[in-house]
Amino acid sequence: MPLRRPTAALAGRTAGWLSRLTRRGGGTAVSGLVTSAIDPNFVPASLQQLHSTVTVTGTNGKTTTTAALCALARAAGQPILTNPTGSNLERGLAAALLPHVNLTGQIRDAPNLRAILELDEWAFASLAPTVRPRVAVFLNLFRDQLDRYGEVDRTATAWQDAIDQLDPGATVVANADDPAVVAVTRHHRGPCLYFGADVDRDSTTPDAWADVRRCPICDGRLEWDRVVYAHLGSYRCLACDFRRPQPDVRIADFHPHGLAGASYRLTTADSDKRIEVQLPGLYNAYNLAAALTGAHAADIDTDRAYAVLESFQPAFGRAETISAPGVTITLLLVKNPTGANQTLDLLHSEPEPLDSLVLLNDGVADGEDVSWIWDVEFERLNPRRLFVGGLRAEDLALRLKYAGSAPQIDATEVHPGITPALDAALHAEPVASGRRLIVLATYTAMLDLRAEFARRGWVDPYWQSAA
Amino acid sequence: MTSYGPVLRITHLYPDLMNLYADRGNITCLERRCAWRGITPLIQRLEWNDRLDESADLYVIGGGQDRQQQLASQGLTTRNADRILSDLGDGAVMLAVCGGYQLMARRYRAGDGSELAGLGVFDAETVHPGPDVPRCIGNVVCDWNGARLVGFENHGGRTYLGSSAAPLATVVRGHGNNAEDSTEGAIAGNAIGTYLHGSVLPKNPHLADHIIGAALARVAPGYELEPLDDSAEWAAHRAALRVVGLR
Repeated sequence: MPLRRPTAALAGRTAGWLSRLTRRGGGTAVSGLVTSAIDPNFVPASLQQLHSTVTVTGTNGKTTTTAALCALARAAGQPILTNPTGSNLERGLAAALLPHVNLTGQIRDAPNLRAILELDEWAFASLAPTVRPRVAVFLNLFRDQLDRYGEVDRTATAWQDAIDQLDPGATVVANADDPAVVAVTRHHRGPCLYFGADVDRDSTTPDAWADVRRCPICDGRLEWDRVVYAHLGSYRCLACDFRRPQPDVRIADFHPHGLAGASYRLTTADSDKRIEVQLPGLYNAYNLAAALTGAHAADIDTDRAYAVLESFQPAFGRAETISAPGVTITLLLVKNPTGANQTLDLLHSEPEPLDSLVLLNDGVADGEDVSWIWDVEFERLNPRRLFVGGLRAEDLALRLKYAGSAPQIDATEVHPGITPALDAALHAEPVASGRRLIVLATYTAMLDLRAEFARRGWVDPYWQSAA
Repeated sequence: MTSYGPVLRITHLYPDLMNLYADRGNITCLERRCAWRGITPLIQRLEWNDRLDESADLYVIGGGQDRQQQLASQGLTTRNADRILSDLGDGAVMLAVCGGYQLMARRYRAGDGSELAGLGVFDAETVHPGPDVPRCIGNVVCDWNGARLVGFENHGGRTYLGSSAAPLATVVRGHGNNAEDSTEGAIAGNAIGTYLHGSVLPKNPHLADHIIGAALARVAPGYELEPLDDSAEWAAHRAALRVVGLR
């Protein structure tokens, strides 16, 4: 059916254009949905025309790692195609491909173009066999949206099946510190490159909410020389040969600068340099190390890599800073216990307590089950003033009540919804220069909040910034 | 103001294996609600390979994945069954959630046909219909003792109660034990099994206090639980009702 491809592409672009025109959204989801519905083979057939495809998957850090990899490729002068809006299901890929398709349905400049794609954990499992990535990056595997994905072990099994079908010529890039990831990636028939952190945080026990405690290969006892966070660290099984592989790219000598960034050494086989980055937290150090390792694996020239990583800016809602009248707002997306606990860690490294607004929604994209907040160590939250909102504000307030007796938490203000909670946080005291507000929000709460910021003229509307 | 209230011995069974869906929120809840009343909670963790060498007044076990559930089943049946069953026979209380509930019933038949032995606290058995049958996932509201329980369920296995078992509650919204007979959970003496996460105890303070009260009845007969300010608890309870269109 030779006309199906161009028809699908044209229909998808029209739908996306209509979506932006009517301001119903960024237009990416609908255009991709229409295209893939008309031609189900559109995404794999398009990607196979390209120079190569790099995929990035994992529970946390996909958007940041993909953006950093793109920055490295651009700095090396490589033409790339990506899905920058975090739209990481098949329809998101179709939408990313559409602008590169000509009227006959062919990709322009295909032999030179590299696709660098963020893929949801299950989208990777279902698409990898047809997309055939040349480099597949695996960041980590944590509990996340269990109501949607079922159990964590099921995701690992699905990855295993997809990895078995990768070309032996493909390179797998994996987090050496995550036993759940290494247990599946070590079965790849081709080369594996690993990244990891040589960071000692004085702990040899995985955190209480960690998902790996026993050997994923033989169920034997797993011992950690050190735990970085959750179940990430340096581990070995006492019963079989399973252990942390030697990283090819390592993070060392880590110094956090609170929300402002961090400095650390990034070491590879032929370089060792201390970098000052704007992305805060150890979790982002993993993301940048993953991007650098991915660039090596994809033969992207990394001469300027350190400078690129140092100037790299946070992605949407990931420690992004918004200037509003009389207040500077820092947005922190929280989606699951590991990410939320890392964010609390970050706030802990700030020199003084800050006004904080926490927003919990229970949409499909947030996870309809709010149980996960009981795995977040809100006991460590030490805000100056605390405000609580979102569709499930009351659940969050209850969690905070049980988190402890800190006076700030007793004085919690609970405002179901987004705008009332925002206004309470903003109007709590007179507008003053230098006032800061930290916002922790789940995914749809973050979207709602940004829409409210756009109405107030503090940020560009989504359909403009995404276009 | 310091008073020496009763001591409650709480044993958390296999937190290293059965810790999915934030069931440790139940431990946090029990711990706090005891402490707020001057009751001293002594919390013991029983991990894989450990043998219980002390009795408890209250046992708590959470949900887990299939593999971890297998390990927990081995640990329970080969090392710790006698102690737990004799404590329960002696009036100790149990809260078993999801995978833990399945392990406390007679047996669990997995999707591949393999069977796990349970402790038989509840006259019930669970059958997993296999990976192609949708899991029971979503918000749950059920009637319990003239009141309501709210929570979130996420289970593949379907649990069927035997003739001598009593359900904990009746499903108003959601699937419950098996999506067929409107039963949710099971109750046997002082043992309670349920599919509700949420975590279940914090936003069902009446259930939390029922459990604490039953456990105290044998430690400190006649001890009356002091009422607490539960406005935040009931606000979260009502929010869970609101989500499914109830009040």
